[in-house]
Amino acid sequence: METKGTFVAYLAATDIGMRFDTFEALKGVSFTAERGEFITLLGPSGCGKTTLLNIVAGFLKPTRGALTLDGADLLPIPPERRDSAMCFQSYALFPHLSVRDNIAFGPRQKGLTATEVAKRVNDLLAQMALDAHAGKLPNALSGGQQQRVALARALAVGPGLVLFDEPLSNLDAKLRDQVRTEIRALQRRVGFTALYVTHDQAEALALSDRILLLNNGVIEQEGAPRDIYFKPRTRFVADFIGAANLHAGIAEAGALATPFGPLTGAGVATGAVTICWRPEMARLGPAGVNSLAGIVSSSAFQGAYTDVFVDAAGQTVRLQLPGAAHFAPGEALSFHVPPSAITTVADTAS
Amino acid sequence: MSAKILQRLLVAVLVAVMLVWLIVPFAMAILWSMVDPSTAWTYPDLLPPKLSFERWWIMWQTTSLPTAILNSYSLAPIAALLTALLAAPTAFAFGRLDFPGKGLAQILILVPLVMPGFVVAIFFASILLQMGFFARYPAILFGHVILYLPYAVRILSVSFGQVRTDVVNAARDLGASPWQVFRVAYLPVLRPGIFAAFLVVFILSLEEFALAFVVGSPDFTTIPTILYSYLGYNFIRPNAAVVALILVVPNVLLMLGLERLLQSANPASVSGKG
Repeated sequence: METKGTFVAYLAATDIGMRFDTFEALKGVSFTAERGEFITLLGPSGCGKTTLLNIVAGFLKPTRGALTLDGADLLPIPPERRDSAMCFQSYALFPHLSVRDNIAFGPRQKGLTATEVAKRVNDLLAQMALDAHAGKLPNALSGGQQQRVALARALAVGPGLVLFDEPLSNLDAKLRDQVRTEIRALQRRVGFTALYVTHDQAEALALSDRILLLNNGVIEQEGAPRDIYFKPRTRFVADFIGAANLHAGIAEAGALATPFGPLTGAGVATGAVTICWRPEMARLGPAGVNSLAGIVSSSAFQGAYTDVFVDAAGQTVRLQLPGAAHFAPGEALSFHVPPSAITTVADTAS
Repeated sequence: MSAKILQRLLVAVLVAVMLVWLIVPFAMAILWSMVDPSTAWTYPDLLPPKLSFERWWIMWQTTSLPTAILNSYSLAPIAALLTALLAAPTAFAFGRLDFPGKGLAQILILVPLVMPGFVVAIFFASILLQMGFFARYPAILFGHVILYLPYAVRILSVSFGQVRTDVVNAARDLGASPWQVFRVAYLPVLRPGIFAAFLVVFILSLEEFALAFVVGSPDFTTIPTILYSYLGYNFIRPNAAVVALILVVPNVLLMLGLERLLQSANPASVSGKG
């Protein structure tokens, strides 16, 4: 909603802080989400992402900060009256109620008539391919089916904002990919705003419009998946998302002095820096610039690529090379890194 | 092969022990209660020479057994209900909340259980009198509630602890009122605990002798006070057998019900992870 004159984001968190006794879980987090946006809170365990989600849901009250939804202050509103619905990591289905009654629970609380409730529930059962299981208890369903019931139950109240708390972490890898695709398709179709918590970077990259990468209770970097991946701001971000080669260097007049000798990079700062490049950006063979050579120390075939660790100038460098070629330990290898693939990162967030 | 034999042997031993401990006393009580007053059951008769329900009839006619049955079987459910209700807030605190001194409080609440019944009864009775609590029925009721609160608190705090916070949160998140949250997230998990607490207090109250005797004597009777009056000084085994059966048969049935209740798979406390 727009208030007159100034534009207010659909969901806006300002300087949210949360302290449990002596532990500061969140140290002043601010972010916004537009209507229909898919935002992921990504970070290692203990980074504060679930705490932040619980604050948005209303299960926790932050020790400081402001939170608005649609321009209205959310903090005084209890969870039962917030326009958000949560998909729990444990699914948190009502174990004694059938799938149908689980989904109908929310709409019934809103005081809809029996026919309206039935219509809504039937629509969702059909959408989620749960028709055949409507009468079953949650325990009779597989993990993936329970996950779909949890999602249907959340969507049944027609929330503007859907909160996901690591919804895929209890599923096996194949199912995880499938449900992930379903969630994204559903979000596009229904148009709800999504706030999605995960520690899985692949999930975050695949799902999000925007990723908020949290570490130690602060947002370390915020941006579109491609920006976060290719332009990490800090050593932590580079390391957490994907694999990264990180080496100390000194930048001067567009050139980098590194343990491997002079390199050319893109958008390089001046002074002592940490250079960063992704293992899959390396190309076999020498080239005009950024040619490196070393000895293979180990290699692991991964199917789509081969993970090769190379000792070069006393540093361990990781390469991910496509193709079927073998790389035996002790073998000499020369490769190059395109200048556009080399960026610099800060050692700490500031 | 030998494991199988061992298993059979163990089952046989178990059955034998059960027979000796349960069936024999029960059968003896039934036989003794049916000894006809006209002919005594003496050595070397293996069975009573004459069986009849005469003793039952005499007990019913000549003692205050009907009143005692009424007293006992009305005290027990009321005491059980009040105890479960009064225990609920404490059990909620123990099961759901964290507060300083919780561990100590949980131990302290169980301390009354180690007190011998008579010690509690004698001094509890004097407190009741000092409080001006002269009406016997409510005094015994009050006493039973106080006496058995620890059991109910213990049982119900376990149940409250099994309530899943994520399910409570899910219900709230979907817009449920406090009552609806209780119905969908608490009640299904608590139900067996509520029944268990009710039954345990019911049985304990029914069997309680010390307090009922000290507070109620001489003219307020419950089934145990009648039973005990047939022990010792004017010991009549057939009459005691009648009262014992009246006391114990409903208890055994309730106990079996309780066992089934506690054993039955409770879907509400099973995790939803798949």
